[in-house]
Amino acid sequence: MESNSRAEALLSEFLSGDASEEVLRELADLASGDASLASRIRTELEFSEMLRQSIGEDATGGDVLFFQSKAAFEVPKSGLFEKACDGDISSVECDQLAKFLFDSPGEVASLKKRLAEDEWIREAVSGSRSEEAFIEALETRMWAETVRDHFVEDFQDRLEREISVVGEADNIVEMPVSWTPTVLKMAAVAAAVVFGAFMMTQVGVNGLPASNSVATVTKSSADVKWLGEHVPGADGEVSVGPYELERGIVALKFANGGEMTVEGPALFEVKDDATAHVYHGVAMARNKPFKSGITLKSNGLSVSEPVPLIGIDARSEFSTEAIVFEGDGGVCLDGGSCRSLFEFEAVKADRNRDRLVDIPYNPQPFLGGWELLSGVEKNLGSVRIEMPGTTIESTDREGEVQVFVENESFRPEADLEVDQIRTGHFASAELNPGQALQARGDLRSYLLQLWPTNGVEGEEVEASLTFDHEVVGVIYSSDRLTDSDLSVGTSIPHVGAEFNKERGLDLGRDEILLSDDRRTLNLKLKGGELEVDQIRVLVALN
Amino acid sequence: MDRTTQELFVEQVREHHAGLRGFVRALGVDPLWVDDVAQEAFIVAYNRLEEFDRERDFGAWLRGIARNLVINERRKDARRKRILSDNLTDVLLSSSSASDHEEEEIGDNGLAKLNALRACVADLPEKSLRLLRSRYEDENSALDIADEFEMKAPAVRKALERVRVSLRKCMEKRLEAGPVTESA
Repeated sequence: MESNSRAEALLSEFLSGDASEEVLRELADLASGDASLASRIRTELEFSEMLRQSIGEDATGGDVLFFQSKAAFEVPKSGLFEKACDGDISSVECDQLAKFLFDSPGEVASLKKRLAEDEWIREAVSGSRSEEAFIEALETRMWAETVRDHFVEDFQDRLEREISVVGEADNIVEMPVSWTPTVLKMAAVAAAVVFGAFMMTQVGVNGLPASNSVATVTKSSADVKWLGEHVPGADGEVSVGPYELERGIVALKFANGGEMTVEGPALFEVKDDATAHVYHGVAMARNKPFKSGITLKSNGLSVSEPVPLIGIDARSEFSTEAIVFEGDGGVCLDGGSCRSLFEFEAVKADRNRDRLVDIPYNPQPFLGGWELLSGVEKNLGSVRIEMPGTTIESTDREGEVQVFVENESFRPEADLEVDQIRTGHFASAELNPGQALQARGDLRSYLLQLWPTNGVEGEEVEASLTFDHEVVGVIYSSDRLTDSDLSVGTSIPHVGAEFNKERGLDLGRDEILLSDDRRTLNLKLKGGELEVDQIRVLVALN
Repeated sequence: MDRTTQELFVEQVREHHAGLRGFVRALGVDPLWVDDVAQEAFIVAYNRLEEFDRERDFGAWLRGIARNLVINERRKDARRKRILSDNLTDVLLSSSSASDHEEEEIGDNGLAKLNALRACVADLPEKSLRLLRSRYEDENSALDIADEFEMKAPAVRKALERVRVSLRKCMEKRLEAGPVTESA
């Protein structure tokens, strides 16, 4: 009796999160000799877990949780095995399965065998899980996580030797020409700490052929000003080496297809393995999904896994921030820990504390760079290119056409119906029979939006957008916009709201023109409306 | 690390990747993250290759590394976890230790098992193969497959189960018959 009340007291402390190690030890001792107490603890913990989930970040409503739990209890063991193999088992069902297994340890081996077999079937059937695909991905990761570090060490050793030679031979470094690529390759992966010394070595190898172009300036803002002697060539060619950008924004395209923007004032170095080290400034990198692209590095921080769209803010002396706009990847502290970074997550590498700290997602510093990467080549009038992660709704952008990149690259699963539009003529938006989208291949989708002014008489809003790629479809009818939401993978949070019932252009009032070369879209939208104006623009990427 | 060691390592990757992936999955790792965890285990192994005693079984060493990685997953916060559930992984880990025969059985001969399975898959009737591809290549759920094949979802689950059972038997038979070479 006494031990029962003691167990209750210990359990209570444990469940309320106050249990010391001593209490836990005592509770474990009691439970080891009392099966019913052990079972009670399991049940209580399971319930605690359900409570935690019900009030946590991924909270589901109480009713939903109840029905999930009830459903999980009703699923037979074989069904839970099946769901575990399929990988679509809920957390409640996992707990239920764990309970089954705890009570029947003999079944554990059977489940493990099934899981392993399921994995092998996947590997045998799916091309994306083949040995080649696995090894290719492993090689990329190994290059990113291991090989470059050895290069840094090798280079430091070599550098020390070369510098001592410089001292002995009146600052002349004689190197066989065939060494050049090796030295440049090493330099390309050298850490910031040896940067100054690396420059000295470059001076010493002036007699060697100039390093090759590794990237090209594809776009720049009008106010760009470079400092120093090492600047991009007249044709935009960017060779290996350091660059100082006093002001403006430039976009570079690397040979591997990766794109990068840098906003001045900035000091950065381009290397011959598509690595860019940003010592100061704001930079963004866009890589093709699942391909190796540009590797961004900065003070104290490097991107360890290629990310489709990532930014680095290295303006502070004390910290560097990394932010993922699209896809997932990883970042590492120099010579330290690494962590995954998911879409719309941001971290700060604190140089004093040598650690990565989570920070709020704030894309504003990257707005300029994003304008160059968004695929909108030129825009005139009241236009705002919205950053990735901006919800497609707003109340403070009245009188301004917002441009959202809805989907960077996708291939529509079903035939998309677009509005008929005659190129080269301004015409009112009209009811039309529509047409099936003819384009095949990868598309990018933009949503242009003018927020309503709730009936307050406003001026006509004019906007002009020139895209990097050919426009293959325009959707401005309300129904077609709704029908195509799913295909482009967008989510409109205000569907069904009063102002959004007719979300396309106002038929007979708003005007639209697509240029003959299908690159430029001009809009004349009437202000003072009650409903949001939206136009979906589809461009062909290949 | 010299070139020979690196080449040997690549050979080990080819030899052990299938077994390791099966082993990782058997510890309750989310199917979408299996390759990621397995690759991480290879990278850890590569970085510690100097510590590896060549007299020992490389596959078992790799599995020990992977096991530790999975244990670490339990300490991560929920959104970064690569396992389906802490509880399930705990139970699966509890019966898995370095000296455990059953563990060796799952991880060992992975490549041979995979090759046997490939041969078995190639012999499947057309409809079974389509069903299998829809599930494992296109990652469709039983409900989606039911729509595609105009079947009921429970019937899809049963059909998939039958295919799996027949593949398991076929694989075991082929393994018993002798070494299986990689099919084209």
